[in-house]
Amino acid sequence: MGRVARALIINEAIERLRDRWVIVVSVLFALLAVAVSLYGRRGDAAAAAQLTGASLVTLASLLIPLVAMVLGHDAIVGERERNTLGLLLSLPVSRLEVTLAKFVGRLIALAAAVGAGVGLAIAVAESAQRSTLAALIVPSLLLGAAFLSVGVLISSLARRQISAASAVVALWFLLAIFYDIGLLGLMVASDGAVGGKTIAALVVGNPVGLFRLQMLSALGGAQGLRDAGLLVPQAASSTAFVMWTAWILLPLIGSAFLLARRGDRG
Amino acid sequence: MSAIQRLELVGAAVRFGRLTVLDDVSIALSAGECVGIAGPNGCGKSTLIRVLLGLVRPDAAMLRIDGVPRQVDNALKAQLGYLPEMVAFADSLSGLQVLRFIARARAVERRRTDAVLERIGLADAARRAVRGYSRGMRQRLGLGVAILAEPTLLILDEPTGGLDQQGLAVLRDVLDEWKRCGRMALVATHDLALMEPRLDRICLLQDGRVLADETPSQLRQRAALPVRVSFALQDDLASADKAAFATAISSWGRSLQLEQRNGNIDVVVPADQLLGLVDVQRPYQTRLRSMRVHEPGMDQVYDELVRGKARASEPRAEVD
Repeated sequence: MGRVARALIINEAIERLRDRWVIVVSVLFALLAVAVSLYGRRGDAAAAAQLTGASLVTLASLLIPLVAMVLGHDAIVGERERNTLGLLLSLPVSRLEVTLAKFVGRLIALAAAVGAGVGLAIAVAESAQRSTLAALIVPSLLLGAAFLSVGVLISSLARRQISAASAVVALWFLLAIFYDIGLLGLMVASDGAVGGKTIAALVVGNPVGLFRLQMLSALGGAQGLRDAGLLVPQAASSTAFVMWTAWILLPLIGSAFLLARRGDRG
Repeated sequence: MSAIQRLELVGAAVRFGRLTVLDDVSIALSAGECVGIAGPNGCGKSTLIRVLLGLVRPDAAMLRIDGVPRQVDNALKAQLGYLPEMVAFADSLSGLQVLRFIARARAVERRRTDAVLERIGLADAARRAVRGYSRGMRQRLGLGVAILAEPTLLILDEPTGGLDQQGLAVLRDVLDEWKRCGRMALVATHDLALMEPRLDRICLLQDGRVLADETPSQLRQRAALPVRVSFALQDDLASADKAAFATAISSWGRSLQLEQRNGNIDVVVPADQLLGLVDVQRPYQTRLRSMRVHEPGMDQVYDELVRGKARASEPRAEVD
């Protein structure tokens, strides 16, 4: 990366951290995480750790995609609306570098928010819960990176910042909330014609589903569900690696391509 | 890297689909020159600028730097400074942070950043978020960003937008410095009247073509607009003497218009008859307090050239 790209990474991180949104969200995340782990302190330690883990996974799987996409949604279209995209592209820097620097800079801000949230929760948690909480960090960052990348793609596609924001909310509802219900509906409606393998593949195909599955295995809850006769799709670590890589890289490549083609005008 | 002495863009053509935005446009700048680009909305001003900045890839064009064909690559971009039209900047950053980013990106020293902040009059507001800046302050910050790395070629798109008197003074001062130091400036502007004193040449664009590319005085000559001359008469002058002077002018026969109001006589004459009018008034000199010549503003010259061209391209539109 060149000098301009490095400067842009720093600038993006500073700008996002100065923006109140990131601070509000990381405080919110921290408060919820702290509340969950304080609540878990009351019962017997092993059960509490299970409970805390499951609650935090649910919390993270809802909150992180939204935060990450909102973080990314104005990356390109915001500059375009402020008439600074031309200024940025007139600096000695390639359009691919601009896209990557925007992503990396904002990922730093996101990592700071997630790190602050989980870190605070770890600080107040019982020692038994600490490993559970620590196990959240890397998958959370992967989930955040994937949705940040999607957010940047949306910001390259959108003509107006406000439409990028709407798209983010719509996609969040779709992937974080309705997706699993939709899969359930698909199973019922097709009366089993759509097999378990297909459904399992569809679960893993959504980064939110992949995150939940990975956390479930990490926290040792999968066996319990399987014992209860529930379908628990398996994600081989190689599959998981491919999925994360694809969700993080493909939208970024798309954004870089769009920026290269459209330049400073929409 | 040695400073650029001459930059030429030859035969630039840009088409967006079926729309031809630029058609065989050429423009050249030499060291120490400040060139204006003017024209109606949609004439291709911004596109021309964006070709030079490497933001638009032209369908045809040859860029020559000191006579050598060249692409708009990173090495060339390092010598460009750009102020976009209606620039706004990220709300949550402070003016200082915006400048620091450009300083880091362009390897500019800290001292220079402070000097630029001082110069654009934002030293006191430097640590405030851009969110609270007025339109004029944002424009001044944009100017600061453009000049920060002391680029060889300064490209300003509508730099006067939102600037107050103090901001305009900074802008004029910057352009003077660029000319004095043998650098170049290219200014797209609607404010020709305001910018004219700083412009060595004005490139008039219309419908994506060059209508004229001349010095302001050549453009004046080409437009051949009449000149208004105001005579102020002595206060204690008898009305008969006033009438005699007015008669002398009207019997001269070359004035286009003659108005008398509160002791003043305004005469409109073709530009080439100005010296004749001076001869006419000479016998009456003792009765005159002052004589003022109002040259038509560059904005009027522009109007005349752009509209005259439109008239010429519509034959039979005017019968008389």
